[in-house]
Amino acid sequence: MAVKMKMIKKLGLAVVLVSLSAPSWAKISEFQLDNGMKVLVKEDHRAPVVVQQVWYRVGSTYEQAGQTGLSHMLEHMMFKGTKKLKPGEFSKIVSRLGGEENAFTTANYTAYYQVVGKQNLEKVMKIEADRMRNLVIDDAEFNKERDVVTEERRWRLEDNPRSKLNEQFNATAFLNSPARNPVIGWMTDIRSYQAQNLRDWYKKWYAPNNATLVVVGDVEPQKVLELAREYYGGYQPESIPKLKPQIEIEQEGLRRIELKGNTQVPSLQMGFHVPSLVTAENKREVYALSVLSSILDGGESSRLPQSLVRDQQIAAGVSAGYNATDRLDTLFELSGTPVNGQDIKEVEKALLSEVEKLKKQPVSRQELERVLAMDEADHVYYRDSIQAQASVLGSLISVGLPADTLDNWIENIRSVTPEEIQAVAQKYLTHDNLTIATLYPDGKDHSNIKAYTGRL
Amino acid sequence: MKRFTALLIVCVGTLLFSVQASAGVDIKTWQTSQGSKVMYVHSPELPMLDIEVAFDAGSARDGKQWGLASLTTTLIGTQTPTMSEEEISQKTNALGAKIGGGVDRDMANFSLRTLTRESIFKPSLELFKESLTQSVFNPDIFNRERQRLLVALKQQQKNPSEIARNEFWEKLYGNHPYAHPVSGSVETVKALKLEDLQSFYKRYFVASNATISIVGNVTMKEAKAISENLLQSLPKGEKPAALPEPQPLKAAMRSVIEFDSSQTYFRQGQIGVKRGDPDYYALFLGNHLLGGSGFGSLLMEEVREKRGLVYSVGSGFAPMRVAGPWLSYLSTKNESAKEAEKVVGDTLEAFMKSIDDKHFQAIKDNLIGGFPLRIDSNGKIIGYISMIGFYGLPLDYLEQFPKIIESLSKEDVLKAWKKHIHPDKMVTVMVGQPT
Repeated sequence: MAVKMKMIKKLGLAVVLVSLSAPSWAKISEFQLDNGMKVLVKEDHRAPVVVQQVWYRVGSTYEQAGQTGLSHMLEHMMFKGTKKLKPGEFSKIVSRLGGEENAFTTANYTAYYQVVGKQNLEKVMKIEADRMRNLVIDDAEFNKERDVVTEERRWRLEDNPRSKLNEQFNATAFLNSPARNPVIGWMTDIRSYQAQNLRDWYKKWYAPNNATLVVVGDVEPQKVLELAREYYGGYQPESIPKLKPQIEIEQEGLRRIELKGNTQVPSLQMGFHVPSLVTAENKREVYALSVLSSILDGGESSRLPQSLVRDQQIAAGVSAGYNATDRLDTLFELSGTPVNGQDIKEVEKALLSEVEKLKKQPVSRQELERVLAMDEADHVYYRDSIQAQASVLGSLISVGLPADTLDNWIENIRSVTPEEIQAVAQKYLTHDNLTIATLYPDGKDHSNIKAYTGRL
Repeated sequence: MKRFTALLIVCVGTLLFSVQASAGVDIKTWQTSQGSKVMYVHSPELPMLDIEVAFDAGSARDGKQWGLASLTTTLIGTQTPTMSEEEISQKTNALGAKIGGGVDRDMANFSLRTLTRESIFKPSLELFKESLTQSVFNPDIFNRERQRLLVALKQQQKNPSEIARNEFWEKLYGNHPYAHPVSGSVETVKALKLEDLQSFYKRYFVASNATISIVGNVTMKEAKAISENLLQSLPKGEKPAALPEPQPLKAAMRSVIEFDSSQTYFRQGQIGVKRGDPDYYALFLGNHLLGGSGFGSLLMEEVREKRGLVYSVGSGFAPMRVAGPWLSYLSTKNESAKEAEKVVGDTLEAFMKSIDDKHFQAIKDNLIGGFPLRIDSNGKIIGYISMIGFYGLPLDYLEQFPKIIESLSKEDVLKAWKKHIHPDKMVTVMVGQPT
């Protein structure tokens, strides 16, 4: 038994979302404060624990050229003190409460969270609300933290050729859309930020009417609302800038890049431009694309592992993925690594031939049933984590989707027909709409240790 | 992008430690008639069930055939007398079940997550049972999976972080069975034969060498029936012999591996303690303060917050069947490597001299206040009970942990650290171009 539980992780929220639709035991209470801040509460009384998350509608797709990564840098600075708290004190308070905390930035949003015993919800709400409007960005603290972020970039990107490939692939697939921006930012952009850029970015986006509070755990919704009013309700709303459309131009022919890197094994990443649940004119196309993604790579019985890894034995690993809940138009992606002795071009051909099959032949009822069974089961398993439940709600609201999107998800997936899957494959998964990025070994010695170079 | 990502330095289950008594994890335990140990917690809120089966069959049992345990674990459940590989994967997916497997130095473990709805529950259990106990080792699947593993191992040779990890274990454990990488090396995996896997399976995957853990929506009566049935067709067999005790280093050892990377990957440490060591509590508490609790810890404060040298830094014990390592780790741009090393050393030295009261109370508060979070899901609970069962820890381990933490003084912590931790006899590994 190899480790086979990759499904949830692979598609990120797109798949977590699949697993959610809400039965009766998962009621969501939705409120809005007078200042425009949204509040979502979901009760889960299994343990005396609660998670608070605050989501801001700002991320790398909100950024301009030359200042990529600003949202992520600001996420780091949010731990560096307010008018009331010293740098690092926020984390020390949470730690002393026995809490877990962190924050994350994506293309679509920036979010902060704490998991604590339920008796401590008010304490973390107080300090989270404080840093919504009272952040202090000190020059010296900023300079140090910028060094931390450059170390983060070295660790994630510079010494990791596959991550680099992904970054450059993305910037090739998207020419004018800010979806091309790396979340962490280009190194020169990171190095050129000034503290004032961060202060401006904070002022621009961190306001109650650009934020969503999500609380999941052993709580009563009305009590949470009262606390939210007390701590977040006093802030005035701000005028939030309206983003320019920056809609990606139509792709009119194949794009291809190569990257040479410190790797022994080549790999490739491909993507077709597709709409998301936010941008699609016809939402049914999104459901069809989601099912299509699972047909290709949802579980070990799906087509890519079955065909490329087990039957043809040309790939060591393959995957397909689709972020159905991106704020902007997104990509339907495929990737693969050859087994030893196989040409990466053969892997590319085989992946594209699976795409062609989907266009020519409708998928079978059995395949559809399997996808549905996995989605329905995932949507129970997923309730084992209060964090995951909160994250799905926050991510939906932050891209402008309604909280009940998920209540209807399984039903929508269930109604997808083989013809609809065929139709989206024919419409979107085309040669002229495709970007391919390939990583090749650079052939250099990177080390004084003798790597194995013989036959495998 | 996260603000902080902890490096996973140890394997499944080993970082786990403790739980609030009052929140209560009511663990029941028994033996099956075949001699498997069973750990069970009733958790009826969600209509689902988790099972974990752990065998004392980790890579420490490889002998000279490094990668044997790992590849055997991969092959188990790929085929049975009645089902092909394709049928197994189709059935698993059609039930919405999750079947997984993993291996570390101490154990090979297999897991099932399934809904408890009648139409799904029984077939899921049968599928899990058959794939675990009736495994057929097909030569084609073996060759394919070995090739895939070789690709991964070849790739590891270009990954500075993996190189540092493997070098650290090798230098620290010398000839001990913990020394080699869990997945083996290109050369040793190439040499593995199908028959080797079959005999490893026969020797170690036996009922008396298994710990079965069950958490979810089944009654104790049902859990008893499930556990009795699950490994019924495995022979009773015998537990393997105890592993040798690793010998601590007699002198410091330093290994610098040149690597053309933008960062230097640093690991420094020594042999620590085994699971069940009475000093573990004091060592753990101290480490939590030194480098085990992210932004609450001294290393994070000194290396990252004060100096901006790293994105991630930390330290940890990995208590195992016999003494596992203690280590500190970080990665930083090559130019800062020596400076970062010095800060880590200075921080450790200062910590072992004295601990200030404020820090000490804060870290105790963190551990005690955080207990309910550690048992707030079935997924976490099964991790703990599987560990308690596998390592033979007392059933009230979770209940006792916060009480013992509460009772420890600064002096207890420093005494334990001085007894076990020897900064002048550590292994230091650097991969990169440290200057």
